[in-house]
Amino acid sequence: MVTATMPATGRQKTRTRIRVLEDERWLALTLLTPTAVLLGLFIAYPFIEGVYLSLSASRVGVPGEFVGLKNFEKIWNDGIFRTAVWNTFWYTGITTVFKLFLGLWLALLLNRHFKGKAYIRAAILLPFIIPTVLSTFAWKWMFDPTFSVINWALFKLGFISARINWLGDPDLAMTSIIIVNIWRGIPFFAISLLAGLQTISPELQEAAAIDGAKPWQRFWHVTWPLLLPVTMVVVLFSVIQTFADFQLVYVMTGGGPANATHLFATYAYQIGIGTGLLSEGAAISLAMFPFLLLIVIVQLLYIRRVEVR
Amino acid sequence: MVEGALWRRWVFFYIPLTLFVFVLLFPFYWMLITTFRPDGELYQPWNSPRYQPFWTANPTLEHIKYLFEETLFSKWLWNTMFIAAISTMISLFCGVLGGYALSRLNFPFAGSLGTGIFITYLVPQTLLFIPLAEIIRNFKLGDSPWALILTYPTFLIPFCTWLMMGYFKAVPRELEECARIDGASRLQAMLYIIIPVAIPGILSAGIFAFTLSWNEFIYALVFLSSSEQKTVPVGVTSELIRGDVFFWGPLMAGALLGSIPVAMVYSFFVEHYVSGLTGSVKG
Amino acid sequence: MSRISRRKFMQATGGGAAAAKAGGLAAILASGRAPAYAQTSTVHWLKWNDFVPASDQLLRKELLPAAEKALGLKINLETINANDLQPRVTAAIQSGAGADLIMALNNWVYLYSDSLVELTDLAEEQGKKEGGMHKYARTMCSVGDKFFSMPWAVIGAMIAYRKSWFEEAGASKFPETWEAYREVGKKLKAKGRPIGQTLGHTFGDAPGFAYPYLWSWGGKEVEADGKTVVINSRETVESVKFMTAFWKDAHDEGGLAWDDSNNNRAFLSQTISATLNGASIYIESLRKPDQYQTEKGQPMNKDILHSPLPKGPAGQYGFHLMQSHMLMKYSKNQSAAKQFLKWIHTTENYEKWFLSQKGYATPCTADWEKHKVWDEDPAMGPYKVAARLAQAIGHAGPPTAKAAEAWTKYIIVDMYAKAVQGMPAEEAVKWAEGELKKIYA
Repeated sequence: MVTATMPATGRQKTRTRIRVLEDERWLALTLLTPTAVLLGLFIAYPFIEGVYLSLSASRVGVPGEFVGLKNFEKIWNDGIFRTAVWNTFWYTGITTVFKLFLGLWLALLLNRHFKGKAYIRAAILLPFIIPTVLSTFAWKWMFDPTFSVINWALFKLGFISARINWLGDPDLAMTSIIIVNIWRGIPFFAISLLAGLQTISPELQEAAAIDGAKPWQRFWHVTWPLLLPVTMVVVLFSVIQTFADFQLVYVMTGGGPANATHLFATYAYQIGIGTGLLSEGAAISLAMFPFLLLIVIVQLLYIRRVEVR
Repeated sequence: MVEGALWRRWVFFYIPLTLFVFVLLFPFYWMLITTFRPDGELYQPWNSPRYQPFWTANPTLEHIKYLFEETLFSKWLWNTMFIAAISTMISLFCGVLGGYALSRLNFPFAGSLGTGIFITYLVPQTLLFIPLAEIIRNFKLGDSPWALILTYPTFLIPFCTWLMMGYFKAVPRELEECARIDGASRLQAMLYIIIPVAIPGILSAGIFAFTLSWNEFIYALVFLSSSEQKTVPVGVTSELIRGDVFFWGPLMAGALLGSIPVAMVYSFFVEHYVSGLTGSVKG
Repeated sequence: MSRISRRKFMQATGGGAAAAKAGGLAAILASGRAPAYAQTSTVHWLKWNDFVPASDQLLRKELLPAAEKALGLKINLETINANDLQPRVTAAIQSGAGADLIMALNNWVYLYSDSLVELTDLAEEQGKKEGGMHKYARTMCSVGDKFFSMPWAVIGAMIAYRKSWFEEAGASKFPETWEAYREVGKKLKAKGRPIGQTLGHTFGDAPGFAYPYLWSWGGKEVEADGKTVVINSRETVESVKFMTAFWKDAHDEGGLAWDDSNNNRAFLSQTISATLNGASIYIESLRKPDQYQTEKGQPMNKDILHSPLPKGPAGQYGFHLMQSHMLMKYSKNQSAAKQFLKWIHTTENYEKWFLSQKGYATPCTADWEKHKVWDEDPAMGPYKVAARLAQAIGHAGPPTAKAAEAWTKYIIVDMYAKAVQGMPAEEAVKWAEGELKKIYA
């Protein structure tokens, strides 16, 4: 079997191997081997096990018999589950729109030359670098009904006269976790899109400018189409991550008040781990799958179309 | 730089940028001030006249001292770095090769393989960690950094592969074709032409892979048990939150010190890839 | 107590596995009993990290080394955040590997009994020796009549309140009924000193309030058979109606999503006058008397007293956090772990730990109620009855996995939370009934 790491020096033995690798199929196979090994080893079994769990009636430490789709039927009739589904869509949709818009804006700002550029670029990455659990604790402290610095600021600025009960009101609690998610996600969008902007040759811009295009037109007709492939991938990953978000909500509200902020993952955790109903928890986790798949397929088709164009 | 009048520069550039920086960094300022704030000042309700959100008159180093002397914070920091670095390297290696193959080579089932790799990314971690614990036990990896180094790639590889596919696609085909006409093999073209051009992409995939492993909580919680093996997020939450008592000062100090070193490393890379790139495309 | 830094300590004693390996030879040489010591088994003990840091320190510095010496084994204590215990237990059971002894909270025994070693002999012996095991500990730690965990302690939840503020509002002692409590609360809230209570998703304070409150009005989740859902009763509706008014009149409305720590902070910062909590507020105020002061500049700890929850039409109840230790079936060190449990539960050893808790934890056997600790501090006195007066979730049935499901879904808590947020009482109760029926179906 050929190896993946290939010294490109021209020794006799390696020559034949290189010739084999001239064949696209062999090369592709070789290049994909490490990925296949790792994923096969660590994700194939757990995934199958997870699917089986969702189709059986297992509790922690008690393997259960096969029950078909009964768990799914149970969660389908579960009001909290429905809330969680709705919440997840709302949460993902809103945050993605904001993250994309603000992230792109920030990327365009950062793509300019200005003093201290390097520091700013590094600094704005901070929200993304810091472990979610820890930054969420800081936000929780900032949203605390008794000690909220946000309330203090709004009050001093004269926007409010009484405190805002950030995490206590169901809608505001949702807004709060959305704010934190956007805050966390902007750097990811900004830096990825910035890297994308950097791959666009400035000559194209210059040529368009010479042709008399306004900045807005230049962006829309030159930059944006070239940026689209990277953008789509970034959006795709962000959507998946947000859809399956767990830590943020778990730390911030635990799904409360009154289940108003449960997402798929937090509710699955509560049922599967908190209650020991492993099968039902697995079913909730897996119920995320078709939704995600649908979103992803739509996006992938869109990416393909964009690329063909 | 924005062309045109001074006011345009302010409206379209300085003001929005300042706002972005302020909002993105404010929580860090908050952590900083909490780190140095003595406990006595901490519990002031927001509507109390003694509430001083942005400043403290009596800064203290006590919390930082606590963090380093009473907990194994420096060890956790090292563990996290080590685990994140190795698993990122593994994932980048797999991701760059895989991404190249999937985006640049024609072979049967390329599309479905790509989708297959992608689908593994959709599997929620909250579902996976229980069966994974079994695998960890079978491989006798429990309570060792390798438990994480080998499992983190399961969510990093799909991510890196797909990000790299995006970047590779943006590199013009002509570049590679020129090299091939000059007599380079496919492998050489990939190693010496395409990959160098994609360095910014690789770096940003690396940055994000590193961040994702830096961030990970549930695997680290479940697969590690001794205190000196733990990572920063798990160590800090398990030592500094005691039932209903939060040790805010050390907690915030831990959050801050756990992210700033990485930010410094990143700042180097960010600058590097941003400046290095334009030349390589033109050349 | 001299302060040895935790880190140095771990390095010195090999508190963790890696250190133990590295220090193995040196340790053997130092102990001077090489061959026997070399073959000791290691007991991995996973518990929550204590509200009272001194107690964990005591275990690490004094009790565990003593146990290691007495029993000839190694004990590896791991402490984690209470919220993170369950994923660890689940993964350990499912993969068949993990800690040997794990702390269980409340009725976890019902969730995991198939994977636990029966400890009836140990628990019964303990009860016999110390004047009898309280019913609460028995219900929570045994399935049928078999103990599957060793009761450790009950973390009492009492109302901590500001003595002087209640006096100013005309209550020379703590109100005995909900009606009286509401009247005082009304006056207090008018002065900007409301009662603080969480109805959020917290494992401690919210259910710790909602369940006993429900029982005190005569409401219950199910009949004694543990199957028939009877939550939708006149009593429950009454309790919800009263709660809604009580909330508006007397409570801090920010409490809806408080976690277990918010009320501590609110109380210590003087924004609320009373709140249901463990003793952690009081203990914190004792630890830093200069920092937490009343508006008159006195140390706040002199102004804090505790009381059980008031009486309702159907009686007076409490719900407290039950802590016990599970010996895992997969463990390869079962006999060593059992030996250790026995050792730490001897009156002499347990007392050291108990004293370090300063009344925060109430032991599960009757004799401890007579301990002199309870007389030393009037503020802590009420905690001595915590274990005796407590009632388990799932009342009037046993605290089964179903009851636990209702608990982890916060159905009782959310029933009140929904009503407080404006849902009509009947509707909120009906919602809870529907949810409970699904669970008990």
